[in-house]
Amino acid sequence: MDIFPALASVVTDPVLLGWVFLAAIVGMIVGAIPGLTASAAIAMLLPLTFYMEPLPALAFLYVIGKSGRYGGSIAAILFNTPGTAASAATQIDGYPLARQGKASKAMKVATISSVIGDFTGEILLIVGVAWIAAIALKLGPPELFAVYFAAFIVIGSVIGKSITRGLASAALGVLVAMIGLDPISSTERFTFGSFDLTNGISLVPLMIGIFVLGEVFAQIEERGNATEMVRDSDDPAQNGLTWAEYRPCLPHVARSSFIGAFIGMLPGLGSAIAAFVAYGEGKRRATNPAAWGRGSLEGVAAPEAANNAVSGPSMAPLLTLGIPGSTIGAILIGVFLIHGIQIGPTLFLTSRDLVYALFACGLIGIVIYGLIGYYGASIVGRFITRIPTRVLYPLIFLTSFVAAYTSRGNLFDVYVMVVAGFAGWLMRKLDFNPAAFVISFVLTGGAEETFRQALLLSDNGLMIFVTRPVALLFLLVGISVLVARVRSLNRQARAHALGDV
Amino acid sequence: MTPGFSPAPRVVGLALILIGIGATLTSLTISLDQYGRWGARFFPLAGSLALVALGMVELRRAGGPSLDRQHWSAIAGLLALSLAYVWAISVVGYLIATAIAAPLALWIFGVRSALGLSAAVVLCPGIYHLVFFELLGVFPPLGRWFDLLDIIAGY
Repeated sequence: MDIFPALASVVTDPVLLGWVFLAAIVGMIVGAIPGLTASAAIAMLLPLTFYMEPLPALAFLYVIGKSGRYGGSIAAILFNTPGTAASAATQIDGYPLARQGKASKAMKVATISSVIGDFTGEILLIVGVAWIAAIALKLGPPELFAVYFAAFIVIGSVIGKSITRGLASAALGVLVAMIGLDPISSTERFTFGSFDLTNGISLVPLMIGIFVLGEVFAQIEERGNATEMVRDSDDPAQNGLTWAEYRPCLPHVARSSFIGAFIGMLPGLGSAIAAFVAYGEGKRRATNPAAWGRGSLEGVAAPEAANNAVSGPSMAPLLTLGIPGSTIGAILIGVFLIHGIQIGPTLFLTSRDLVYALFACGLIGIVIYGLIGYYGASIVGRFITRIPTRVLYPLIFLTSFVAAYTSRGNLFDVYVMVVAGFAGWLMRKLDFNPAAFVISFVLTGGAEETFRQALLLSDNGLMIFVTRPVALLFLLVGISVLVARVRSLNRQARAHALGDV
Repeated sequence: MTPGFSPAPRVVGLALILIGIGATLTSLTISLDQYGRWGARFFPLAGSLALVALGMVELRRAGGPSLDRQHWSAIAGLLALSLAYVWAISVVGYLIATAIAAPLALWIFGVRSALGLSAAVVLCPGIYHLVFFELLGVFPPLGRWFDLLDIIAGY
């Protein structure tokens, strides 16, 4: 078990522990600020980590992602505004509890459930990732391309409310990734004679634009909407949490943790889907489903466990196949690349110690944000109400420019960031899917390489993808997901139309 | 969340088709490899044709809700400021450009305090310069026309 020596080395490194502690706080605050997400914070802080050692850099961003997922629940419960998309499910029961004067009780349930869910996901990742990597090593280019194909379809069609716009976001990501020199033949593609474009579009300014500047543009439309926090009750019985109160939540937490971990392993699905699936399943199995939606502690526990259980397993496709399962995974690719670490199945041969030390930092990060959240969530909430957004967002605006420049010391990247920021805002406005765009942008290089390698191996052209069983299986998975999603949305639209009538 | 009611399907559909056609035509100009194969064209063409197809699907949809245009002037202002800020960095360097952009950004977000805006003129360029260009050691973007760092730091 490589994790125990890794844990020992991390706990004896005070500097590394300091970064993990800082990340837990930063993530929690950022996740709790309505509008800001852990992805935005990680994209903005990414260039700073270029100047750090690989492990502290990765651990810092990884723990921000974990803590940020949890931080969303603070906003959902205390402000009636989900800090992240995933915490919208927590808000359904969390805010009614807060209105009943049980904000602290709800926060404690959310914290314990998040910690259990996150631990479950992380342990499943630690146990299973090397096994998945060993299998991944046996996949050839046709199989890997089929996995990429399935990932494109799932990412484009499953997230968001419009399938066509989700898939169009993925296609746009592919086209933007094509800009520059073809890595195999060095042929110029989509450069339009511009020297700057021959180097291609860099991942870091693109992500800062989409996730950070895009959010600043979006926040202009929210100007004047003050964040108001629900006040705690003075009665200790309302604020404390007893074992008798939490015990009914445990079956929901256990089930939701596995739901979250399973969804987390599938590229692109993410926390929001996990949280809503777990909430729906929890309500279906609840002894008193009528209480859900009116302030049920189980209704807070189920989505929070699932939301956080996604975190660890979402790293599995990234570490084993080089396929980011989430936007945070896509951003972490930047850190791996800048430090010259090759991700994919060989990662466990070349950087095994680093990977397990990263997992150890994740486990410690969970403990830290759990402790801070259990005892100090309301303090974090009060702190956030004191941050004036009219000052915060201009500062984020200025930071995004300098961060984009810092990545390569190039003003062209800052122009890219501005264009990406406006595009990110427009995508949100028009129900496109910025996450699908960025993940597709990241996937395209690997997908194209494996596609062309497969064709070189093939005697029958494209038939190689249907004559290899594993490749065919993944192609069918992608197509089945698309068909299922189209049918599901059509059913919902019909039900909605009938409701209107 | 209301399924199937994304805004402006006709405009979006048309835009996707136009981008797709433009990208398809550009993809066809990508050189073939030394053996005359389409290697470097496959993915650009696949992405372009996918956009055309998805644009056609969008066009077939019934009209969705109209877009909220209430804040578009502020959005346009921030976009103009963003582009002007990068251009200003390239001609007068980071310090002066940030000293101008910081109070303007605060103004757009509703800060009206003269003291706050004045403080931003000095503090924002100073703090960002200190953190990124002094502590992290990133080489600052110098202005083509003039740069304050020429005088105060002897660049």
